Parts: sequence; C-alpha cells; structure tokens
Amino acid sequence: MKKSTAFVLSLTAICVMAAGAAFTASAEEITLDVMMAQYGPNTNEWFLGSGMDGTNFVEKFEAENPGIKLNLDVVSWNDIYTEVDTRLANNNAPDILNMDVFANYASEGLLLPVTDYCPEDLYQDFFPSFMDQSVIDDTVWAVPDLASARALFYNVDILEEVGVEVPTTWAELEDVSQAIIDYYDGEIYPWGIDMTTDEGQAAFAYYTWGNGGGFVDENGDWAVNSPENVEAINYALGLINNGFTNPNPATQTRYDLQDMFAAGKLAMLIAPNQLPTYVADKEGDINMATAAIPANEGKEGSSVGVMDRIMAFRDDTAEDQDARNEAIGKFLKFFYDPENYVGWVSMEGFLPAVNSAVEALVESDPSFGAWLDVLGSCQFYPTAKAEWDQVKQGVIAAEQSALTGADIQAELDALQAELMG
Amino acid sequence: MNKAGNKKGKRNWEPYIWLLPSILLISIFVIFPILIVFRLSFSEISKAGVIGGFVGFKNYSDAIHLPAFKTVMINTFWWVLSVVGLSTLLGFIIALVLNQEFHGRKIARSILIFPWATSLVIQASVWNYIIKYEYGSLNSVLLNLGIIKEAINWRSSYQIEFVWECAVGIFVTVPFVAFCVLSGLQSIDESLYESAIVDGAGFWDKLFSITLPLVRPALSVSTVLNIIYVFNSFPIVYTMTKGAPANKTDTMITYLYMLNFYDRKKGPANALSVIGFVILCICAGIYMMTVMRKEENL
Repeated sequence: MKKSTAFVLSLTAICVMAAGAAFTASAEEITLDVMMAQYGPNTNEWFLGSGMDGTNFVEKFEAENPGIKLNLDVVSWNDIYTEVDTRLANNNAPDILNMDVFANYASEGLLLPVTDYCPEDLYQDFFPSFMDQSVIDDTVWAVPDLASARALFYNVDILEEVGVEVPTTWAELEDVSQAIIDYYDGEIYPWGIDMTTDEGQAAFAYYTWGNGGGFVDENGDWAVNSPENVEAINYALGLINNGFTNPNPATQTRYDLQDMFAAGKLAMLIAPNQLPTYVADKEGDINMATAAIPANEGKEGSSVGVMDRIMAFRDDTAEDQDARNEAIGKFLKFFYDPENYVGWVSMEGFLPAVNSAVEALVESDPSFGAWLDVLGSCQFYPTAKAEWDQVKQGVIAAEQSALTGADIQAELDALQAELMG
Repeated sequence: MNKAGNKKGKRNWEPYIWLLPSILLISIFVIFPILIVFRLSFSEISKAGVIGGFVGFKNYSDAIHLPAFKTVMINTFWWVLSVVGLSTLLGFIIALVLNQEFHGRKIARSILIFPWATSLVIQASVWNYIIKYEYGSLNSVLLNLGIIKEAINWRSSYQIEFVWECAVGIFVTVPFVAFCVLSGLQSIDESLYESAIVDGAGFWDKLFSITLPLVRPALSVSTVLNIIYVFNSFPIVYTMTKGAPANKTDTMITYLYMLNFYDRKKGPANALSVIGFVILCICAGIYMMTVMRKEENL
C-alpha cells in the first residue's frame, strides 16, 4: 500500500470515529451499568443469552426502551462482593446492583432512595413486609427482587418406616431422631445442621427464633447473647453431640446436606422452597413433604425468609439526574412486568416480591400458593442494620468455636460486647 | 575516540532497553499493586470499601489484636514448615529413585507431574471427595477390601482437617521439588561416583559427600520458591475447610481473604497482607543469604 493511500485511509477512519462519537453524544443515550447476581445456570441465558423465548432481557429491554442502553453483567455470588468492592474503591459503582446486603452502602450515602426512581404504581405493588426490610432512617433504600422461604423437609418413607410422626417441638425432634438412629443403626442421619461459613447464620436463626430469641430484641437492638439464644444453640449443639446430625456441621454446607437428603441418607433438614427442584436435578427419587420448623415447647416457631434486593447507586457525575432516575425506573418497570418477572422467578424456583406476579405464578404451579402463605409469616435477617456483616460472621464463629468445645455463652457475650463497644 | 565512546554508551544501554518491557510489566502488575496495598494498610477503609484518610498504624494494631490472629500465625508456621519441609524430603527421595535406570522410568516421571500440573482447586476438591465420610472413595475402598468394618470419619476434628490440608499441600508440592532435584542430579558427572566407589565409599558417603553438595543449588531454588508459593497458597485451605471451624484451620492468606470479603474488616486485612509480605521477604532473604554464603564458602 502506498504511503499516501494509507494516510488517506487512516484519516478517513479517524473522521468516521469522531463522527460516530459526536453522533452518540448528540443522541443523548443513557447507558445503565447493571450488575445482576447469578442465581443459577439459567440466569446468564435469561439476561444475555436466549433464555427469554429466544431473545434475552437486554435485547428486549433496549427494543422497548429506545435511548437506554444496558451494560449488564451477570456475576456469580462467589465474586459479586469482591467485584462491587473493587468498583466502589475505584469510584466506578454500577448504576443498578442486585445483591443481598445494602445497609453499608446506604449508611455511607452511596445509594439513591427508592422513591427517587421507582414509579409509584410499582412501589405499591411490592409486598409491604418485604419493603420494611430495606428501611433505614425511614427511607427505603432497595427493592426486593425475589425471596425464598425455609421450611422443614422430611423423607416421608423413612419416617413411616420407623413409625414416627414429623416432629413439631424440640423434644419430639430428639425422640424422632433417637428412633431413626435406633432403627437404622446410625446408617441414616436423622437431622441436618449447617454451621459452615456459608450459612451458619441460618442455623442460628432457625434455633433462636424457635426459642423466642433472635439477633435483635423487641426494640430492634442487637441481643445476640440473650438467654434464649444461648439455650437454643446449646440445644442444637446437643443434637450434634448426641449423634443425631451429620458429623461435620462446620464444613458440611447446605448443599452437602441437600445431596445427602437426595441420596436418602438424611431424614430431615431445613431447606429453601427450591429443594424439590434441587433433588430432581440430582436425580434423587425422594418421597418428601414439608412441615413447620420445630420450636421449643410453648414457643412459637417461625419460618425463615431470605430476600435479595435491587438498589441504585448515586452518580453525581451524571449530567441529567432526572433522566437517569427515569431510566432506572424504566428498568424496574420492565423487570417486574409480570410478562417478564413471572418467567424470571419461576425459572430458578424462587418466590415473587410483587403482588402482580402472584396470580400468574399460582396458576402455573399450585404449590406456590402454600409457600406464599409461609412467606407471609416469615422472619428475615436484620440486614438493614449496618453491623449485620459483623453479626453474621460473629454468630458463625461463635457456633464453630462451640463445636470445638468453647462455651457458647462466653462466645456470644464477647460478640455482644464487640457490638456494643 | 568519540565514536568509540558513543558505541560503548549505546551498548551499556542496550540491555536496559531489552529489559524495559519486563520492567514495565512488573511495575504495573507487581510493584504498583504492592504500593497500593501499603497505602491502604495505613488508610481508613469503610465496610463498603470507600477509602478514607490516613490512620497511622491503627489497622496494624487492630489486625494483631484480632482474636484469631495468634491461631492463624501458628497455623501458617506449621503449614509452611510441614509442606515445604516434607515435600522437600519426599521430593528429594523420589528424585533419587527416578534418577536410577529402571523399566517404566519415563512413565513414572510423567505420572509424577500430574499432581503439579492439575489445578489446586480441582486437587483439593478431589481430596475432599476422597476423604468424605458419607460417600468418600477412601472409605469405600477400605470397606470393600475388608480392611475396615465401618466407615471412618476422616475429618473428625479440626486438627485432623488441618493435617489433611497439609497432606494435600505436600502431595501437590512434591513433584516440583522432585523435578528440580532431578535436573540437579542429572548434571552430576557419573565419574565422581565411580571414583568414590573405587575409594570404597558407601551409599551414605556418596549421598552426603557428592549428591547433596552438588544438588544444593537446585534445592535452594526449589525451597525459596516453595516458601513463597506455600505461604501464599490459597486454594487448598479455602476449598477444603474455608478455615472452619472458627478460623482454626485458616492460614494467613485465607484468613485475610475472609477478613476482607466476609467480615469486611478491610483495613486490618490490608495490614495483615503487608505483615505477610514482610514476613515472606525476611524468610526468603535469610534463606537466600545463608545459602549464598555457604555456596561462596564452598
């Protein structure tokens, strides 16, 4: 190629690029940086592949909302915290984030209040009890994207074979466990406990809430070392020490327990509503049923709800804040449109967070109805409190220390003192 | 004269120009991140990751006063000592064996490289399955052979779990040492052994007077590199136990990761990472100085 030709070509390329840039700027297009959590193998397909009836979320959204582009990433739960932290440290927060915790970001003034961007009709569509979980200082900082509820799952065949009823109280749970141990000579674990770093806080919730305790007192202040909590965790430790549970609760995660349950090796466990799908995926053929989580005698048990959120970060550099807020609102409207949202929620077996999706979901799967009732009576982790991360890790560490022989009262006292200090 | 001087000056600069790409890469990907960590260790960092002002040595003081700090440091000491020490010993013995002439030597050498060539996460996950109580292959093999009558819980206490982690660490490190030593052994002149035999030297004499001194450079390299690799090793401990129960099986690297991303104590986590870096520099420095001094004396 002659030098002069090359020069003309490169000059043309530069002009085209410059014109393109000018065109992009003049079109006043808004690009939203969106980070969604990966709930399962279908999430990527849904947002970026062809899981939405041959198309995907981004394509459909951009077609229906000209002028708004989505720069959407699906990030695995293992990486999402690291990625968000890194982006925040580099002043590069996403516009929209889908994650579980929000309190740290809200209390440091990084989030936009939901009312700034959420359309009123959509705001009213969310279950109020869910919205309450994202309130700090009377402001809602995030909206729920979906939920799951936990209940007791049991292997009907094992319990029938042994000739016992599903336990409703702690005392009954011990009796049933002993009967299963005796009948199967220890070959089948009666009860599953996960006190791992992954979800040890769930174990804390199951037992303390079933004994009138919990993470906070009636005023909403931290009360991790209450006598009810100490009694509850000692009860759980007793189940482990009596050999009623899986042998290594500090390292056997919920998924290990679910695998054991799917293989018929575990008789009962507390698990989320997606367990039947999980067992079916593992080709397990278990005759299972659900029941309320057993509570201490005379105490009211409660189901455990787990909820994730969608939140919007502030961006003070955005030229037109109103247009940005409107674009975020459009994203939410599109996400929660029953036409899209029902498919999204049922795809991974979760429960919805908006009223408008309930009818369609119950129609497609009647078992949803029962779970939605459970969801109504659920307790949630106090994730709106900024110290939640510390409490979550603290109770797990306390449980694990107790497993190695430490005194749970002393461990929880130390955590409480740390929280008060 | 002037021309010759110019030529000489150009030649002096030449190596540096060739080295420039490497120096740039190392600066961007190694030195710059290290400097950032140093800066962060003296800064206030919020739970959300927002970097605040200078806080002096507060993060260091917080890190040292963490309840798990002592346990983690002791664990890290044993982890490095046992994995580096035992893998060096075993690797040396295996290298001696593989240096002998025997049928299938090539196959044996190929097999040896597998544990080293496989990803550490996969190795640790596989070992997790092997020692699993419920459906672990170790239990099922022993049961089928009739060696044990009922399944054994191979992870019945955290001390045993830590021993398993070290064992897996040794398993994956041995091949590296063995290959380093093997390359050293192959460079030893056979005539040295022949002369030693003529002089009536036995196996141990040959080992301590010929083999060891001559493979010392190879051993030094493998030991220094192993101290750094093993100290910084993350996948085995994280995959097998995540430091559970209550950080009792954590090493410094897994602990500072948990501290940063689980406990969100970002300041102390950065301080701890600087402490680790300094410890590593000191250990590697002392070792290198000792070995180099000995080599100079030879």
